[in-house]
Amino acid sequence: MIRLGLRLAVSGGREAVVRLVIVAIAVGIGVGLLLTAVSAANAVNTQNDRYAWLDTSASSPSQTGSGGGHGGPAAPLRLLLTTDEFDGQTIYRADVAATGPDSPVPPGIPQDPGPGQYYISPALSALLRNAPADELADRYPGHQTGLIGQAGLPSPDSLVIVVGRSAAQMSHLPGATEVTSFNTTPPGSNGGVNRGDGLGAKGLDLVLSVVALALLLPVLIFIGTATRLSAARREQRFAAMRLVGATPRQVSLIAAVESAVAAAAGVAIGFGLFFVLRVPLAAIPFTSQPFFPAELSLSLPDILAVAVGVPAAAAVVARLALRRVNISPLGVTRRVTPAPPRAWRVLPLLAGLADLGFFAVHGEPASNSGQVLAFTTGFALIMIGLVIAGPWLTMTGARVLARRASRASTLIAARRLADDPRAAFRAVSGLVLALFIFTVAAALIATQDTKKVTPVDGAAAGNTLIDQFLTITDGGSATGSAPPPPATVLTRLRKIPGVQGVVEFQADPGLTITNPQLQIQGFPAAVVSCAQLAGVPGLGRCPAGAAAAKVPASLTDIGGGNLAEFTWPAADVPARRLDSLPLASLDVATNGSQPAIEQARTVLENAYPAGTGSPPHTLGEDTAAANGADNAFQQLADVVILTSLAIAGCTLAVSVAGGLADRKRPFSLLRLTGARLGMLRRVIVLESAVPLLAVAAVAIGTGFTASAMYATMEMRLSLVSPGAAYYILTSAGIVLALVLILATFPMLRRITGPETARTE
Amino acid sequence: MNAIIEARGVVKSFGQTPALRGACIAVGPGEIVAVMGPSGSGKSTLLHCLSGILVPDQGEAWFAGQRLDTLTETQRSEVRRDKFGFVFQSGQLVPELTAEENVALPLLLGGARRAAALAEARAWLGRLGLDGLGRRRSGELSGGQAQRVALARGMVGGPQVLFADEPTGSLDSVSGEMVMSLMTRAAREQGSTVILVTHDARVAAYADREVIVRDGTVGSLTGAAPSAGTAQSSEAAR
Repeated sequence: MIRLGLRLAVSGGREAVVRLVIVAIAVGIGVGLLLTAVSAANAVNTQNDRYAWLDTSASSPSQTGSGGGHGGPAAPLRLLLTTDEFDGQTIYRADVAATGPDSPVPPGIPQDPGPGQYYISPALSALLRNAPADELADRYPGHQTGLIGQAGLPSPDSLVIVVGRSAAQMSHLPGATEVTSFNTTPPGSNGGVNRGDGLGAKGLDLVLSVVALALLLPVLIFIGTATRLSAARREQRFAAMRLVGATPRQVSLIAAVESAVAAAAGVAIGFGLFFVLRVPLAAIPFTSQPFFPAELSLSLPDILAVAVGVPAAAAVVARLALRRVNISPLGVTRRVTPAPPRAWRVLPLLAGLADLGFFAVHGEPASNSGQVLAFTTGFALIMIGLVIAGPWLTMTGARVLARRASRASTLIAARRLADDPRAAFRAVSGLVLALFIFTVAAALIATQDTKKVTPVDGAAAGNTLIDQFLTITDGGSATGSAPPPPATVLTRLRKIPGVQGVVEFQADPGLTITNPQLQIQGFPAAVVSCAQLAGVPGLGRCPAGAAAAKVPASLTDIGGGNLAEFTWPAADVPARRLDSLPLASLDVATNGSQPAIEQARTVLENAYPAGTGSPPHTLGEDTAAANGADNAFQQLADVVILTSLAIAGCTLAVSVAGGLADRKRPFSLLRLTGARLGMLRRVIVLESAVPLLAVAAVAIGTGFTASAMYATMEMRLSLVSPGAAYYILTSAGIVLALVLILATFPMLRRITGPETARTE
Repeated sequence: MNAIIEARGVVKSFGQTPALRGACIAVGPGEIVAVMGPSGSGKSTLLHCLSGILVPDQGEAWFAGQRLDTLTETQRSEVRRDKFGFVFQSGQLVPELTAEENVALPLLLGGARRAAALAEARAWLGRLGLDGLGRRRSGELSGGQAQRVALARGMVGGPQVLFADEPTGSLDSVSGEMVMSLMTRAAREQGSTVILVTHDARVAAYADREVIVRDGTVGSLTGAAPSAGTAQSSEAAR
């Protein structure tokens, strides 16, 4: 029987081969996506693990000795981990000083660099070669002694430097600690260092779950549609076999072999697709950083599960499906009208909405895994619910259509839809799901956009480089300061082409400021000399006659507004006292050119070494970093939408073409009896358009409802209507679907010719 | 007469529509019986019940002293495969298989080796005048050729009973005559019983005996006990 099944699968004539190829392609796309999703999850984990050593601290858990570790306690390594920026990119910097030969060594380098040496990532090395020294290289003392290997780099584009220091130098770096090993896994649930860009681990878990669901479900529908291609022909064949004595077991074995062959071919295509797309996919910065291609990898269990599991699952599903169809020896000659779908089919959809509604009312689960479970369960129930409810909605729409039908084409289409709404809905189910996904993505991104950090500043302030030494604690108080800048530093800063002014903000403990427009009340304030502030108009001005003004101590922790238009309240601080106050921040106004910003940053970093407050940054860079995650979401959503729409289009085309092929005889007989081709065309369009429009309306409505609930509980925002692009694209998608249906018209003409009516 | 196949008070309905209402028929070994009747009278349903394709709602179907209607689906499939042959009006060939593979199918399903099954199939195709057509698929055959392939498939296993449901229904008169001649000759050579459902009197004339099904019951129309002489005279009359 296996041999007969193989024979039928691979050499059963043109139709069988076409079916085999389409099923194999469908399975191949599915397997390719599945492998990509699995390997992407693996790569995200590896990337997060690679960040782990950059989050090592004296008390870090999950540390593993990567140096020393010869049985006894290793000599500690003096370590200071900081971040820096260049042209909007984050540079991870580790200043290290070994205290003994067995001090731990950061991953990716053979030994700790000595004073005056540094190891550097290839991407940063290239940057150093290409950028003028006064913009970047001058920040790093010493010379390059080697490159950091892949083990120490989260991404091929990672900018990482390990700077060797003496113990004495390290003792002057604020924040330096001693460690005996480096982290190998990210501490806590945040998954790695606070990188300030891309998606956090929590967001990634959720997004990857939803993405996998959003991509795999349309693919599963595509596979299901493709396997049902020529279903009528197959049923006829199996009926013929049953007639001559094939037992149900034999027929189901043959069907299982056929499906397994197609699935095995699909698995091969899927693996091929995965390996071809792996390198270009690795370059897409889903996490805001590209992956090493080798890290988009699959474990042996992953490979075995897919290579064996998919064909096995296909075989099992084929057997189960055939058992449900229960082909009799009379096969299609005694076809019984399937029982109409019942109203219970809307229950899973309602259950999904209820799931999200429950958490919207009662609040989301506390744990990250609980939230992932709650949201993915809700969205999965809704998506599966749409597929389950689709036939019932189709039947309801068809019955309405049948009651109002006045033309033969409408009547035929409506009766067929009402007779077998499952088959009719199957054709458009992929598109309906894609519309749901699109609606959810568009609505949530539009809502998320309202949360985007609006520039606090106006252009002038956005180009101001802020070296802030004071930080605002969770309790709302200010802590930290730095000594006043030497005159040489101020001179060097002012000499940089493009620098428009330098202003010192002095810390004055206990001083606060309230400003409703900036959404601050009792916020820690700093004091600035009005003479200096006048030279940097982008940061506001003093009231007339004032010598000093009160300004927010941290411009990065306040709400939006154009600072240039602000008149700050006068501060009653005598000039002599002002000079004696410690430095809260040193701000350098530039014309926004990269050389000016980077040269100023280099001067500031050398003046105030690593570990003194946060690294110098512009307010524009702050805004870009805060909005980075949204951009990554948008990019991911675009990929999902385009892919799911493309797969849905394939499903529709295969389904309509398959439906035509299955009914070529009745259609050709209708033409023989005088039915015009135009009438048959109307039948075809109506058969797809009715379920498409009926269920699309429900899918879009459900998408907005689910998004509103998700926005309420997870984003703490009210849902915002997506922009015109959403409505245009949705309409275009539906029109495109109708065009796809129209594309089958030449086939309709060809296969319903009089010769088709010939008795076999 | 010791019947090889028999229906006793068979009742069968499809939904609310009764097809057979206590049909009785007994057919002896080697006998060729034509089941006639108007459309919708239940003659095809009777054939399906006798061959184990359908299970009667009431009554009994017997084959060679064994009740068919109480067998499992798998057991009835095995009986059909090993003891029965079928020739239907259309649609019974597997479109993906070649003519010779279609003929060999019952043997393959029964576990025969492929080479042996194909050799036997080719022999039957030759006997039915289909030499050289073994590699063609059903779509590449004329109606008469396809029906002869179906006949070869029905006969290849040496069936004790051949069931034929309107075997010439889709053929022109010349092709129909050829198929019926070949069928009756092959059946007599093999000693197979034939139950032939038809509404065509010319086809029925090939039978030893005719019964008529009307409103789901069977009545005798013509015929006598099976014998080579009756059959011969019957054919000679044509």
